[in-house]
Amino acid sequence: MARDVLIDLQHITKVFPPDTVALSDVSVSFESGEIHALVGENGAGKSTLMKVFYGLERRDAGDIFFKGAKVEFRTPREAISAGIGMVHQEILLIPEYTVWQNIVLGAEPVRAFGTIDAHKAREAVRQRIEEFQFNLDPDALVGDISVAARQKVEILKLLYRNVSVLVLDEPTAVLTPQEIPQLFAELARLRDKGHTIIFISHRLDEVLTLSDRVTVMRHGKIVGTSAASGLTKEDLARQMVGREVLFTSRRQPQEPGEIVFRARELNCNDTEHRARLRDATVEVRAGEIVGVAGVEGNGQFELVNAIMGLASMTSGTLDVMGKDITHADILTRRTLIAFVPQDRGKMGASVAASILEDAIMTHHVLDPRFRTWRGLGLDYRHAAEFVDQIREQFTVSMGHSSDPFRSLSGGNQQKVILGRELLLETPFVLMDQPTRGLDVGSIEYVHQLLLNLRSRKRAVLLVSADLDELFMVADRIVVMCQGEVVVDLATDATSREEVGYYMLGGKEAAHAETGS
Amino acid sequence: MRKQALSGILGVLAAFAIGALVLALQGFNPVATYGALLQYSLFSGSGFTATVTRAVPLILTGLSASIAFASGPVNLGQPGQLVMGALGATLVGLFVHLPSAFLVPLCILASLLGGALWSGLAALLKRAFAMDEFIVTLMLNFIADYFALWVITYPLFDPSASTPMTRPISTAAWLPDLGSVNTSVLFMVLAAVVCWLIMSRGRSGYEWRMTGQNSLFARIGGCKVNANYVRVMLVTGALAGLAGGLMIMGGPHRFVKGLGANYAWDGIMIAVVASNGISGTFLYGLLFSALQQGAIGMELVTAVPSEFIDVLQAVIVLVVVAGRVSLNMVFDRLATRRKLKESAG
Repeated sequence: MARDVLIDLQHITKVFPPDTVALSDVSVSFESGEIHALVGENGAGKSTLMKVFYGLERRDAGDIFFKGAKVEFRTPREAISAGIGMVHQEILLIPEYTVWQNIVLGAEPVRAFGTIDAHKAREAVRQRIEEFQFNLDPDALVGDISVAARQKVEILKLLYRNVSVLVLDEPTAVLTPQEIPQLFAELARLRDKGHTIIFISHRLDEVLTLSDRVTVMRHGKIVGTSAASGLTKEDLARQMVGREVLFTSRRQPQEPGEIVFRARELNCNDTEHRARLRDATVEVRAGEIVGVAGVEGNGQFELVNAIMGLASMTSGTLDVMGKDITHADILTRRTLIAFVPQDRGKMGASVAASILEDAIMTHHVLDPRFRTWRGLGLDYRHAAEFVDQIREQFTVSMGHSSDPFRSLSGGNQQKVILGRELLLETPFVLMDQPTRGLDVGSIEYVHQLLLNLRSRKRAVLLVSADLDELFMVADRIVVMCQGEVVVDLATDATSREEVGYYMLGGKEAAHAETGS
Repeated sequence: MRKQALSGILGVLAAFAIGALVLALQGFNPVATYGALLQYSLFSGSGFTATVTRAVPLILTGLSASIAFASGPVNLGQPGQLVMGALGATLVGLFVHLPSAFLVPLCILASLLGGALWSGLAALLKRAFAMDEFIVTLMLNFIADYFALWVITYPLFDPSASTPMTRPISTAAWLPDLGSVNTSVLFMVLAAVVCWLIMSRGRSGYEWRMTGQNSLFARIGGCKVNANYVRVMLVTGALAGLAGGLMIMGGPHRFVKGLGANYAWDGIMIAVVASNGISGTFLYGLLFSALQQGAIGMELVTAVPSEFIDVLQAVIVLVVVAGRVSLNMVFDRLATRRKLKESAG
């Protein structure tokens, strides 16, 4: 197994202005012909390290060796011509172009007088697709193909340029669970053909399935590199977070109380008059967490918007604590509902604002302590105390409250939002993907918060695309499919397979056959 | 805040240096030119008072644009709102006969309402028909201009005048001079203080700013974004209207053809330079006023044409706005170097 060292990064240091040390004296080497996973929490420095290597970010210190020689890629183009290609998280293709057009773009074979030799280009792409068994139609429009297929186009784009090293930044983040094995098979095939693959991820299962060696990073430093075969998920998590992480539920048995939230037969259409919610009915009791599962785009978004008053319903009723809020304005709803939206930058906060400004939203109208001058003024002194309260109670690591919100890490941004919402002390809490994009440590923290809410007799509705999360914290799981709430399952009496079955459109009748 | 002040000062100094270069290349003496500029804008009694008076419409329209831009609505209707405000004050000053103590506040009120009426119209069209205020306020500027021209050419034309203008308003509506400074300055300062309180200490200002940055966040947070939109439009229209009213009451005391001219456009430019900050708008308003006032004197005593000031203003806008970004980069780089040393040590 003694492979040659292909890439050697020595003492790389990178500081993001003004003073965030993203990489601190990082040394790591990658061998030729291996799949090498780079894991770590969000903000550990994985992507930054690869961007430095790839010429996308300048470094402040350190050396890079490729095939034994010291190299310096100033742009990705230089890296590609040296044989190194990187696939980013966001896919950057032209939807109106076909697969082969996208692949050859920027490196088209040309005839005399500079016209593109379309036939030759298409043929070259077709050959590559066959060689790597990528299962793609070279003539399909990129706008028409799935996200998984687009990702393949990105990879082929690099293979077409004859790279021997592929860097993939969280390639599975955009894929559905069914699409992941296929990608992995293709990557393994590439390795067997002699390519070197560097694979950035924070999903531990994937890392262990796919890679030969794993390097763990934490806080901009290397924790260690080891062969994947001898590792367990718990080992990796401990290295990533720096302490033990629990992967099992700590949900204590508890009798739920009165019904707090009730959505009855909600119907809602989109702008083209297609039904997005069909008679959706959900109830949540005090001291109960109800999970909403479903393949994305099956009405969860509309359900959340209907509850918050962002979307207008064609029929149905909503009430919280017996108070009818079907037609209430948003502010009235906010006296009863704490809401953690799925997109921090879009709905959860203004990233351009200060931490303080983002932290006091909603409180600034509902809490009389924020008022001065008979309600005309805002008491900024009280606001600063309030931020301190969030900081202490929710262990936010932050600078001054007047610092910009965007200076916080993702996990700390989410903590500020959670703190703001939970301190509203409402009977009902609505959380939409509260752990999306967070690192392992922060996810664990959010789960603990959810369970605390439960033991404090709050009613929680948790929309999540992560089944593991739902099974860990939810008492009941309702499954949404095509705008309908198709089934309501007690978590302890069901399985991931059963939930998955309903997510994909299975019906109640079949449920009786399989039995549970 | 301190960074912004520093980048502003450095930017203005750099702009003056560039201006000096331009002067020297044309064969003028930069020192003498700038000397005259300062002499006639700041360091002579009459120059200074003229600078401060000229700053009134600049700062008020600048505040109008700053508050609008910071809160979301792209209100570019300050020129029209200024004209309508001036017209409001003129109407009251011509036809209402009251003692000064009542007539002055009434005229002020009329100018606020005149401006708010014009911006309110744009807000109404937005709310009712989703018409973008960006284009509506621009178009309303033309309507206000020609409407005012019609008013002063026909119904309110002063027969004793040779060009379109109204008769003078009642002397009870004239703003008195306080020493050598016109009292319109006091109203402007008062308005600026109120603006600062609203934006920096008020609940509305907080909601407006949040809406301007991310309206979905503000809306889901419980802010009444639609009502706030209308309020911002009304307030910023009223500010521009006040500029017009004060120009009538403090200056020519009648509506003259071409009143307002470019003040409101300069105000929008000042808001951009000040990146929509209230105190920044105030200071840059004074600076631009000093330049425009000094230009007249500069042309008198040196051979430099007053158009040079247009060049200088443009250079200031470019250098300050571009400098703000690049100076931040310099600060970042310095901080990085400090951090590197720390982590090495």
